[in-house]
Amino acid sequence: MNIRLFYLSVGLYLFSTFFYLIYFATVKHLVERIGFLFLLGGIIAHFLSLILRYFEAGYTPITNLYESLSFLALCIGGFFVFIRHIHKARILGSFILPVISVIIIITAFLPQEINPLPPYLRSFYLPIHTTFCFLGNAIFFVSFVVSVLYIITENYIKKKRLTSFSMRLPSLELLDRINVRCISMGFPFLTFGIITGSLWASLAWGSYWSWDPKEIWSLITWLIYAIVIHRRLLVGWKGRKTAYMMILGFFSILVTFLGVNYLMGGKHSYL
Amino acid sequence: MHILVFGLNHKTAPLEIREKFYISEEKIGEFITYVKEKGIKEFVILSTCNRTEFYLFSETPDLDLKNLEKALLEHLNIKHNWVKEYTYTLHDEDAYRHLLSVASGLDSMVIGEPQILGQVKDAYRAATFYNSTGLLSNRIFHRAFNVAKKIRTETKIGYNPVSISSMAVEMAKRIFGDLREKKILTIGAGEMTKIALKNFKREGIKKIYVLNRTFANAKKLAEEIVGEAYPIEELERFLSEVDLILTSTGAEDFVLKRDSMLRAMKTRKFKPLFIIDIAVPRDVDPSVSHIENVYLYNIDDLKELSQKHFVNRMREAEKAKEIVEEEVQKLPLLIKQMDTKPLILHIIETIETMRKEELKKAFNRMKYLDEDTKQNIENLTRAIVRKIIHSHIELIRKNGSYEVLETLKLLFKFEDTNEERDSSRDKG
Repeated sequence: MNIRLFYLSVGLYLFSTFFYLIYFATVKHLVERIGFLFLLGGIIAHFLSLILRYFEAGYTPITNLYESLSFLALCIGGFFVFIRHIHKARILGSFILPVISVIIIITAFLPQEINPLPPYLRSFYLPIHTTFCFLGNAIFFVSFVVSVLYIITENYIKKKRLTSFSMRLPSLELLDRINVRCISMGFPFLTFGIITGSLWASLAWGSYWSWDPKEIWSLITWLIYAIVIHRRLLVGWKGRKTAYMMILGFFSILVTFLGVNYLMGGKHSYL
Repeated sequence: MHILVFGLNHKTAPLEIREKFYISEEKIGEFITYVKEKGIKEFVILSTCNRTEFYLFSETPDLDLKNLEKALLEHLNIKHNWVKEYTYTLHDEDAYRHLLSVASGLDSMVIGEPQILGQVKDAYRAATFYNSTGLLSNRIFHRAFNVAKKIRTETKIGYNPVSISSMAVEMAKRIFGDLREKKILTIGAGEMTKIALKNFKREGIKKIYVLNRTFANAKKLAEEIVGEAYPIEELERFLSEVDLILTSTGAEDFVLKRDSMLRAMKTRKFKPLFIIDIAVPRDVDPSVSHIENVYLYNIDDLKELSQKHFVNRMREAEKAKEIVEEEVQKLPLLIKQMDTKPLILHIIETIETMRKEELKKAFNRMKYLDEDTKQNIENLTRAIVRKIIHSHIELIRKNGSYEVLETLKLLFKFEDTNEERDSSRDKG
């Protein structure tokens, strides 16, 4: 049942993406509204499927690649709804929705059966640690998209070019403001994610910090975002510099999330 | 019925000739009355600084045109050879196409400019006010307004700003989005500055500071556009405060140099700054544009951008022309619908038949009536019926709007022959 609902949400996300792409081409608000309704539908179906899976499996379903990517996509969608509401940056959907679609399509091809929870994951920290981490990841994913857009938009302005493409992009100030919102929300999540992770580690492995590759890379990620906040407030690393750092931070997240598991191994190798 | 356009515009006549044809708002009523006295019934006069055009709606357009020319020569002091040399005359479909192009800005000097639609509306309003419109002109003009609106929403013809100052506003929006919380500093107080500031004002910019070497001029401009004037010596402190800078001084040397700008940017913690330099020679050191989060545009940059946008507009204009063509195809049908003769005949016939039938019934019942009384009754019914018919025909002739015609058609069960009535109905 959870799988069926999941596929329903995949369909709704794809429809939403379709309408958001049309919206980019036509700039018609009605089209955006339709796309947004599909997105809301997708999010609701997706959320329900997770709840069902929770009951079917008996544990928080963020334990393998399928479950975590699926949760990531849900978080990105949810965060976009939030950003859209606060900043009225509707056109952003034309870039975020394709990203959600790609993730969700990959997810749809991964093995989806429910396995019994391995003993090392049986902990009260499982839902807390994973939720914090993936909310943070999702927010920084959005921030990555926003930052790439910032650099593209700024290039157009610096090069003194104005095309029908660039006229549809959000203004630099808006993109920068969204980036600030991403840091101010993503950083606390990341921090709590690391703290809960280390608490869990002390329970499971006997020490808070054991210089495991996952731990090292999450620290690097944390430092990158910490630097952004510090420099921004102190010397004004606004706009492009923030954007570059957010892109760097995102790559660091990718290494932490996927690279460590597939290339480096370590204790945290289940995901 | 036929449509005819006669007139001249910026493409066919130089300004000094257009001035002679120009009929101001104050004089339009007088002139319309004068033309009506010449026997022309249905017409609209559009007179702007770029064009003076007469839209005639008539069964005998050529005769009307001749009378109109006479009226022009007498009333406006126009030489005969000017009419020959500078004017154009278009008929029916061509005339309709022309009206649609004019109303949607396709025929304007700056293609797609929005003011012309308002001017066409004013011209039509004046014509209605002085009673020179009729069935067809009402319908045609309303359709033209709808088409112009459609073109505005379906193409991006009015989307791209063209003037240099509106280009500057557009770029400012690319950077800041909303300008309502922004402050602008202007250095220099010339005419160009004023125009540009008005454009920014229209976007609701929060504060305007005017600095000028001659303080009196700064003050004057600041008063005019509701800003604050300061002596040029205070420049430094504004550099770190404002979001936009507009420079247009006559200075030979750079007014904003790299060092001072770099200092200012550090003080403002690299908050983005948009500098618009419309001075010739330039006021701002070009290397300033390499500073982080500074966006520097000079007058050539803006000119080039607006040039490129002109090309974009031409592309959109092609789409608009297609919409116009589609509408022009409908003209024969429109005219046919406006032809009221069949409807009038139908009304007369219907009522007349009723009268005859009822009369016959009555006479059958009253066999005892003599011929004289019968004749009297016959005359009485005729008189009543004539009065009823007359009021209907009056309504059609005086206010034959589409709605009135449709109501009458329904009322008298009149079927239009071979036409798709609804497809040509105005939407919205």
